[in-house]
Amino acid sequence: MNIEESKKIVSQVISKILGKKLKVNDDMKLIGAESPLDSMKLVETCVSLEDIAEEHGFEFIWTSEAAMSKTNSIFRNVASLAEEFANQSKTK
Amino acid sequence: MIIITGANRGLGKAISERLNKKGERVIGLVRTTNGLNIEAIKCDVSDYKSVKKASREIKQMKTPIKAFINVAGVASMNMAVTTDGSTVQKLIQTNLVGTIYCCQLFAPIMLRYKKGSFINFSTIAVALALKGESVYAASKAGVETFSRSFAREMADFNIRVNCISPGPIPTDLLKGVTDNQIEKIISQQIIPKQFKKSDVCDLIELLIDQKSSSLSGQVLNVGGV
Repeated sequence: MNIEESKKIVSQVISKILGKKLKVNDDMKLIGAESPLDSMKLVETCVSLEDIAEEHGFEFIWTSEAAMSKTNSIFRNVASLAEEFANQSKTK
Repeated sequence: MIIITGANRGLGKAISERLNKKGERVIGLVRTTNGLNIEAIKCDVSDYKSVKKASREIKQMKTPIKAFINVAGVASMNMAVTTDGSTVQKLIQTNLVGTIYCCQLFAPIMLRYKKGSFINFSTIAVALALKGESVYAASKAGVETFSRSFAREMADFNIRVNCISPGPIPTDLLKGVTDNQIEKIISQQIIPKQFKKSDVCDLIELLIDQKSSSLSGQVLNVGGV
């Protein structure tokens, strides 16, 4: 899966979870005060991505130290999550 | 589907048999599957990779988990100063860390369905701060606090988390505890009698049932303290 495909998937998932209240873009923050996602919606996003990953034949791991690190978190924004999703798709 | 850790002995076995008899599909997570009459998956709860592997197997079943019951545990009745380091490690790793691993790795399966219940196990040794059980009690105090906090995290997903805290129920965990010591503990319960495995099974049935849908983040002390 390339980064563009990944961004499309991640954006669609978040958009669905947000109920299209906001336009999802690459810079949208996924954690912190500026994020439109609360903790529940973030978990729902991850679970949805886990299911999509399974359909694509790989496992999406979102509970690693890297995932939760403040500086390198995969949840910094939509682009970083999509990048991680694309990277993990290459491990299958 | 109901998953029970430590389903091959003591309370875990009694709970498995009770729920199985009630017609529930019970799957045991156990270190050794020999002699088990229920479906079982080999799993060492103290080992993250082992729990992860078991969670993958369960996820593949694509069946809602009605309840996940964390019974697997070890006990060591000793004063802290006479407990060796490896025993301390084993108690914390199995009782506390094992419970956390199971909750965190199976919760994502349950929250897909937005229903289900976790039941964790503590001990009366926490509430009574029993002498000679400090390390064991510490591991279980961690389970109680984790359960209460985890209950809040899971509430958004309609998943309940509760804890059962038995007194001296006759199981292998009581080996080495004298009758006098048991009497003394029982005398400190609000209902000063020794309860049985079947009493704990009754509480399990209640916590699984929708009739307890208002209960989450609670520690139920068997016999009262």
